[in-house]
Amino acid sequence: MPTSIVWVHGDSLSPTNPALATYPSAPAVWVWDDELLRAWRISRKRIVFIYECLLELPVEIRRGDVVTEIRAFAQEKGAQKVVTTSSPSPRFQRFCRELAQTLEVEVLPVPALVPVTPGMDLQRFSRYWKVAEKVIYR
Amino acid sequence: MSTLRRDFATREALVAYIAQEFPEATGPVSPIRGGRQAALAQLAAIQPETYGDTRNYLDGTVTRLSPYLRHGVLALTEVRDWLQQRRYSWKTAEPLVRQLAWRAYWQTLYDQWGDGIWEDREPYKTGWQPEDYANDLPGDIPDASTGLLCVDSFSRELQDTGYLHNHVRLWLAAYVVHWRRVKWQAGARWFLEHLLDGDPASNNLSWQWVASTFSHKPYYFNQDNLARYSRRRWCEACPHDGRATCPFRGSYEQLARRLFPHADLHRLGTRR
Ligand SMILES: Cc1cc2nc3c(=O)[nH]c(=O)nc-3n(C[C@H](O)[C@H](O)[C@H](O)COP(=O)(O)OP(=O)(O)OC[C@H]3O[C@@H](n4cnc5c(N)ncnc54)[C@H](O)[C@@H]3O)c2cc1C
Repeated sequence: MPTSIVWVHGDSLSPTNPALATYPSAPAVWVWDDELLRAWRISRKRIVFIYECLLELPVEIRRGDVVTEIRAFAQEKGAQKVVTTSSPSPRFQRFCRELAQTLEVEVLPVPALVPVTPGMDLQRFSRYWKVAEKVIYR
Repeated sequence: MSTLRRDFATREALVAYIAQEFPEATGPVSPIRGGRQAALAQLAAIQPETYGDTRNYLDGTVTRLSPYLRHGVLALTEVRDWLQQRRYSWKTAEPLVRQLAWRAYWQTLYDQWGDGIWEDREPYKTGWQPEDYANDLPGDIPDASTGLLCVDSFSRELQDTGYLHNHVRLWLAAYVVHWRRVKWQAGARWFLEHLLDGDPASNNLSWQWVASTFSHKPYYFNQDNLARYSRRRWCEACPHDGRATCPFRGSYEQLARRLFPHADLHRLGTRR
């Protein structure tokens, strides 16, 4: 019985994403977020594009309430842990907090193009770029 | 049982299934394909040598990687590494790497501000107050019936393909916010419905940059600029070409006086 599942979300649709790469044999799941699709009035072409990405990933495709579906998938697989990939989306972060009430949650970071250091000036892109251009390319 | 199908012989079969499963999601399907294979093919075709000089032209060699980068089908670092491994000099690679950094920058701000990216980050510098801007997008814009050949074509392309060149996004956003005086949030919501790369961070913060709620001055353009970078693609056949009825005609100073009569012209930086 596996003890972990991988949750693939809309910011990590690569078969090489850190969660799938680190847990290659864990069952993986995608959940269409029905509430989000409705609220954002997401058009058909966006759904087709994402669906085509999913068809190249080893995921079971579900839909509904994201947290409920992930919990159900974990239970079916007998898993106590959800592994996923980081995202700045506040909605993603809320789902992670909710999942953490009943499951262990591991969020793997995506490699940063520009390492953000504490106190970095983010007021305007020009100031960010002054720091970034020194470290971004070797 | 809530599991969806994965076995489709053709794209048509997939599209038919999606139409049945997601009846609320309407409209055409983009010619742009999803998936890692498509992303890698697109990456293999990028042209870094000509990117910097041509990226502002609609027929320039932009990468069209955005839908893949937005959904993490391809990582920003993979594009940078691709350039490094092929030993492109910094001088050649810099323009493209800088644009990749814009995405990273917006993502970092999203991480800090969360849903605050939907709020005006700063006051408008247009001389107008937020309440001077309409809440909703006027219907003739999504209907592509403004009568302006360029704007109507941009609107159709957005809705048909889910992709617009950066310069077109700038023109269309400026038209919505400054010419029609509509809140940037209304335009941002419309873009997110359609763009395959639709991303709350890059999209909303770019709209704020155009609107001037996250920049020192509003972004606006004139017909000369549009004609130059589109090589007169729309102007040629447009009934407004060469006439005062073209709302984009004039110098930046003339347009600033018309669009932002209450703003300090000097602060608008009209000398471009
Ligand atoms: C009003 C408006 C809305 C926008 N909405 C989005 C959006 O929802 N999603 C999105 O990814 N981009 C958005 N952009 C930024 C930019 O227009 C697109 O990223 C770019 O046009 C995509 O085409 P490309 O891949 O051929 O770009 P290229 O010029 O080839 O650039 C390579 C990559 O760099 C990144 N990039 C380039 N320019 C920018 C930029 N100004 N800001 C952020 N990232 C950039 C993209 O990931 C892009 O794929 C918006 C710009 C404006 C003005």
